[in-house]
Amino acid sequence: MRILRLILVFFVVTFFTFFLLDNSPGDPAAARAGLNATPEAIEQIREEMGLNRPFLTRYFDWLGGAVQLDFGDSNVVTGFTSWRLIQNALPKTIELMVLAEVLAIGISVPLAVASARRPGSWIDRVSSGGAFGLLALPAFVLGIYLSFFFGVKLGWFPTIVEDLPSIFRNPIGNLHQMFLPSLTLALNLVAVYLRLLRSDMIDTLQEDYVMLAQARGMSERRIMWRHVLRPSSLNLTTAIGLNIAALIGGAFIIEVLFAINGIGRLTIISVFLEDYSTVAAIVALLTVAYVAANFAVDILYSILDPRIRHDNT
Amino acid sequence: MHKQIVRLLAVFLTATLVATACGGSSGDETAPATTAAAADDATDNEPDDDAASPSASTEPPLEDENQITSEGEGMNGLDLDPVAGGEITFALVNDGTGFSTTDAIAPGSIRVITSMNDSIAGLNDRGEWIPNLAESITPNDDFTEWIITMREGLLFADGEPVDGEAVRANIQAFKDGSVTGFAFTAVESIDVVDDLSVKVTMNTPWGAFPFQLVGQPGWMVSPSTIGQNDTFMGTGPFMLESWVPGDSVRVVRNPNYWRADEGLPYLDAITFKFLPDQTVRRQALEAGDIEGYISPGDSDIVDFLEDDNVNVWLGEAGANEYLYLLNTTKAPFDDIRVRRALAHATDRDFLIENFRSGLTTPANGPINPSSKWWVDTDYPEYDLEAAKALVDEYEAEVGPIEFEISIEPSPATEEVLDVAISFWQEAGMDASAKLIGGGQSAATAIADDFQAFSWFQFGSPDPDGVFTFMHSSSGFLNWSNLQNDKIDEGLRIGRENVDEATRKEGYALFQEGLTEALPFIWIDHLNGIEGAAVMPRLHGIGANAPLVNGDRSLGMTNGSFFSWEQVWLEP
Repeated sequence: MRILRLILVFFVVTFFTFFLLDNSPGDPAAARAGLNATPEAIEQIREEMGLNRPFLTRYFDWLGGAVQLDFGDSNVVTGFTSWRLIQNALPKTIELMVLAEVLAIGISVPLAVASARRPGSWIDRVSSGGAFGLLALPAFVLGIYLSFFFGVKLGWFPTIVEDLPSIFRNPIGNLHQMFLPSLTLALNLVAVYLRLLRSDMIDTLQEDYVMLAQARGMSERRIMWRHVLRPSSLNLTTAIGLNIAALIGGAFIIEVLFAINGIGRLTIISVFLEDYSTVAAIVALLTVAYVAANFAVDILYSILDPRIRHDNT
Repeated sequence: MHKQIVRLLAVFLTATLVATACGGSSGDETAPATTAAAADDATDNEPDDDAASPSASTEPPLEDENQITSEGEGMNGLDLDPVAGGEITFALVNDGTGFSTTDAIAPGSIRVITSMNDSIAGLNDRGEWIPNLAESITPNDDFTEWIITMREGLLFADGEPVDGEAVRANIQAFKDGSVTGFAFTAVESIDVVDDLSVKVTMNTPWGAFPFQLVGQPGWMVSPSTIGQNDTFMGTGPFMLESWVPGDSVRVVRNPNYWRADEGLPYLDAITFKFLPDQTVRRQALEAGDIEGYISPGDSDIVDFLEDDNVNVWLGEAGANEYLYLLNTTKAPFDDIRVRRALAHATDRDFLIENFRSGLTTPANGPINPSSKWWVDTDYPEYDLEAAKALVDEYEAEVGPIEFEISIEPSPATEEVLDVAISFWQEAGMDASAKLIGGGQSAATAIADDFQAFSWFQFGSPDPDGVFTFMHSSSGFLNWSNLQNDKIDEGLRIGRENVDEATRKEGYALFQEGLTEALPFIWIDHLNGIEGAAVMPRLHGIGANAPLVNGDRSLGMTNGSFFSWEQVWLEP
């Protein structure tokens, strides 16, 4: 059923994307024909490009190409296909998002555990205050501050990403460049994850089985990390899934700020240059990624909380 | 403190020299704008962001290299011994869309191409053309035929010979280009004469033709790569190693560079990184992540002139103009009264003071006041009452004045336009901005789909460079669509003659025609803000480099044309 929903969403989004693409300003045939072309020459090229065929036929043709990652040529950067442009950019955006998630979870979970363990303690107050502060700071402001402080003033990290080595071949060189952008993207997430997890953990701590564990003399650390964290993670998992969209949105800004040749920057440039074929390709791919990520979250639910799996069966 | 005062004095002195030159006609002969390239220049909507055609100096001959920039510290390093080796990262504002020499080329691409290209002709620091890749460029008596003879032994980066056939193929492809061809409508044929020579035959006398060979028509690429957009196999000091569109271009030393015997180029490689955001560019420079960047912007320039850690190089030698282009075949600009009202209503001094930090000079046409071709015309000064009177007269007769002015997305330029619109509204005209897609200016203008445009272009010290964009015979490249006898005749005289006095008469007539007909509302010449900010250890970026004939070259022109072969990095 979920897979069917995924397919339906994919069709709806790609249909409207192609509709927008088809109705975008400019005439691809005229563009290809050049400025001196006669109307007859343009018409011939239009015929050759199949632009005279019915809309639905062209949509399914485009879709047929899209599922094979053939989105056609960039209509601005001659000599490059849209997929080639995306191929250059996609790995960096994925890495940025993964690193941001890892950092966000790595920072927020220990803080949430510590805060939930002693609500109202200094660490709870400081982390809560910090979380609200981070929520109030837009990524582009945070990025400029971090870049200025750690890049310009301290010189610890580069302010731009340039000639990024593979994380597998040169992890230190890669992370040295990607740390600041990942941290910038992560810090906004930390605020959300921290507050969410802290609240859920405090609720879970009131459960009978936790009190039973405490009564049996189980160590506090074991209770928190083994018996409270896992059932408290459902909302966090939902948030991580939903935040993929936020991450992509954030990546648009972060990639410009740190000059990362990623999908976000490519999208902005493509929109600016009116490279509609590339924009359509990116939208289609992001749709698939977003829907697939949420599908994966659904599956994770049942792993985290067996009751969901049993309910479904 | 002493250094700062000296630098400020240097700025003041430079400004004074320019101002002095404004009143006279001293200057130099200069170079062309190359049509299609310059056409694309118009697509660049950042005032500090570009130049499309290699246009040359409008400055008087330079007494010494220090005059060419306003920044004194470090100067251009000509007094130091260059050190070979090293790599740099240099930030540009935007990427272009490729490197095909037979298409309109975006400014971002042109800046990269300057590192991979040497042209058939070059420009010396007096703004005169000299044979560069060519051994000689010789006309017949009436300038209807030009023989271009190349130097022996030249090779493209891929090892292919730069011979007569290669030159013919390149120039022919330029002429045949759907956009570029409009710049060469005067060219009848291109024929190979012998192994190293071609003959270019015109259908009209063209005395200023060699200036064209400094720019795009003079760029030579290996014949098998002509028209290819993702490569540039040229004759310059560097060759393309990789291009990631929108992100970066890396060029490495060309092993076949024809001036390698002179130890050129000094650098091993340059990475051009595209950083559209000015804050990012500045932080990257201050952090040492890049060695320099183009288009510092007026506020950064003012800051850096006070900063010992950053040198600023300003393209005093030539610059684009910022202007409002009017479509004279569409209402309301088909009426001279409205065009004149617009000119009277535009407070150029306010715009320059507030958006250029006072660093630029007001324009009354495409010719810089420091050029020998410039004449003072009776260009309408800011006079709100005169503007209102013209508006009232027109509206009483025709009706309300309403128009849209097209502009590409660019916050900095949109701010300027917003203020200009407020001026026009104050005079009673109902103006509004119309946002178009990035890089779409030229295409929109060619399609004649505009009433008015926020526009950057020209910077062409030799007035023949504007022929294509203002002469009525240029078709859709005559941006304003104006048919004006004085303009046409002035441009014709300038093109067909080589006698300086005659050409001056022609261009005086041309400027007079422009001021009378007002197809453009001129704001300013952007010399003073088009330039580069670099680390002090990067030398030669604004150098008047030695040319192959021993002359000094123009340094930075239009703030973006650097002699990359002369750039070196102090260890």
